[in-house]
Amino acid sequence: MKTEVDVKRIRMFISNIPSILYILILFYIPIVILLAISFTPPRKFIVEWVFTLENYVNVFTNPNYYRILLNTFWIVIVATIMLIIIGFPIAYYLARMNRRLGAKILYFLIIPVEINYLIRVYAWKVILGENGFLNLLLISLGIIEKPLTIFFYSWVAVVIVLIHEWLPYVIVPFYVNLVGISDEIYDAAMDLGATRLQIFRTITLPLVKPAILTIVFLVTIPSLGEFAIPYLVGGQSGIMLGVLIDRYLSGFQLAIGAALSFFLLVITLILSMIMIKIFGYEALYTR
Amino acid sequence: MSKDIVLRVVDIWKRFGQVEALKGVSLDVYRGELLVLLGPSGSGKSTLLRIIAGLEYPTSGKIYIDGEDITDLPPYKRDTSMIFQHLALFPHMTVYDNVAYGLKIRGIPKDEIDRRVDEVLELVRIRHLKDRKVTQLSGGQQQRVAIARSLILHPKILLLDEPLGALDLKLRKELHIELRRIHQEVGNTWIFVTHDQEEALTLADRIGVMNDGKLIQIGDKWDVYEQPKTRFVAEFIGETNIFECRVVEVYGDRVYAEWRGLKLGVKTDREVKPGESMYLSVRPEYIGLSKDKPSNEGYNIFHGMITDEVFRGSYVMYSIKLDNGEMVKVTVLSKDAEYDPGDEIYLYWRVDKGVPLKE
Ligand SMILES: Nc1ncnc2c1ncn2[C@@H]1O[C@H](COP(=O)(O)OP(=O)(O)OP(=O)(O)O)[C@@H](O)[C@H]1O
Ligand SMILES: [Mg+2]
Repeated sequence: MKTEVDVKRIRMFISNIPSILYILILFYIPIVILLAISFTPPRKFIVEWVFTLENYVNVFTNPNYYRILLNTFWIVIVATIMLIIIGFPIAYYLARMNRRLGAKILYFLIIPVEINYLIRVYAWKVILGENGFLNLLLISLGIIEKPLTIFFYSWVAVVIVLIHEWLPYVIVPFYVNLVGISDEIYDAAMDLGATRLQIFRTITLPLVKPAILTIVFLVTIPSLGEFAIPYLVGGQSGIMLGVLIDRYLSGFQLAIGAALSFFLLVITLILSMIMIKIFGYEALYTR
Repeated sequence: MSKDIVLRVVDIWKRFGQVEALKGVSLDVYRGELLVLLGPSGSGKSTLLRIIAGLEYPTSGKIYIDGEDITDLPPYKRDTSMIFQHLALFPHMTVYDNVAYGLKIRGIPKDEIDRRVDEVLELVRIRHLKDRKVTQLSGGQQQRVAIARSLILHPKILLLDEPLGALDLKLRKELHIELRRIHQEVGNTWIFVTHDQEEALTLADRIGVMNDGKLIQIGDKWDVYEQPKTRFVAEFIGETNIFECRVVEVYGDRVYAEWRGLKLGVKTDREVKPGESMYLSVRPEYIGLSKDKPSNEGYNIFHGMITDEVFRGSYVMYSIKLDNGEMVKVTVLSKDAEYDPGDEIYLYWRVDKGVPLKE
């Protein structure tokens, strides 16, 4: 009896080996290599296999990095809040309207995701750039005389492009979450005496927690590592940690780039833990 | 039960786009009664309840509670509470929070809420489940939470929209008994909607039968069962035989009708004229069987042959082919069911047990 169970277990284990290997090779080995590199001395072009904490000392003492880290968080948090403020009402109305029509409109909102992301960033340049649509409009209306550069190459531009980039990823989880709440639930709350505002606070908001958690994992955390958007439209005020890491890694200063990557990874992990602490694991799979 | 009217529904019409969901429903509900609205799917039962609850606004018509016109009042200003088809418990809350919801919304002090929650959970006998999440309860327990959540507000009228629909038969039967007990203990007025005629007969004081957006017949459940007004009511509640016949002779309330070559006696208060067509409903349990020809006065007696029997536990249903070729269903208590398919038989029913219908 006991041996039979053991055989089953061993079989199960063996049959799982390929998928475990797959995860190890594709996800963890690169990370381990990067971790190792982060403990080597900062050298250009080469990795010198000598253990040192120099990079980490650098990361924790250079005030410049803090500034950029704070900037990164500021941009991502503002973008997330704006995304939720814009995305939730859209998802809410889509979810409460006729199912068919709602799903169709949702589909058309998602289509832009299929367009290459660089093309979309350049499209924003056409609107927000120095010779862009917005400046031309303001000049022709006589509001300004010379084209302004603050729309582009600023943290505001990064936020705008991030919102554009991620909006579908915010609407979809909200939509899926909200269509799962039956009309009867709202009717019941109303029948028990709740006003619209009270229903929103006591029923809708707690029930979309899973969507908010999904959005944090799907949008906020990946955005912390964003480098292309700040690189292309961020300018000085829109710089983010990802730009810095990219600069080091592509400049072949692997060690310091790796250390910064790890710094970001650890922060991300801590953030994830906090989110899970607040919402609980169940929020990911139940409502 | 006093005949004091608590709810008055006057000529309610409701249109959804092309669909006419209610076509002039009027209804008086007595204080303290348990009224069951019975009807097939799509007959407008839920729509009527939702209009009474204020969740839907009628196209025309009026609703009065204790004489006050409440047609324009929002749900939270009405003395009604509704229990929904799928219960609609708040899935992110515990039993306590669900039940306390209506009181919390109204800003009632915490100690009073606690007291009332305990009281109502005691009433529905789930006090021990107070701190459970509602998603961790069985169907029957969730049912009780839904009832408690409504009753804690002491509504004058409790509206129940097929709340037992999702449960299995055994549990439903248990809850029928519980519901009657709770109704008696609380003493308020209940309107219970269902499409299950057995449920209606078990629970109701009075039954209202709905079809196609109209209230066809309402009355004491015995009257509705024994004196159905239309063919729809007769066939929807219980089993019945419908005889399509034609009036041939009329002697006051005594009528003779011709039915596929046989002559039937019928008793009716209605004005009928010879030549008129008439539907007659005779319940299978009112038809007697006998091997020898009975000679009772005041009975319709026909001869036929048993073609089939179906054993249903406490009774047996026979299918009998009469000499004119028509089929008739007859039920007999199992202890008296001494016949077999192939037997020649006489069947008979008292003339006043045949109910002429208005179609
Ligand atoms: N919100 C709505 N929009 C459009 N049509 C509706 C709406 N609500 C109900 N109807 C229609 O009105 C009619 C009556 O519906 P209702 O839900 O009242 O029936 P019911 O008797 O409760 O049926 P069931 O036993 O299936 O619950 C149906 O034809 C239904 O399709
Ligand atoms: Mg219904």
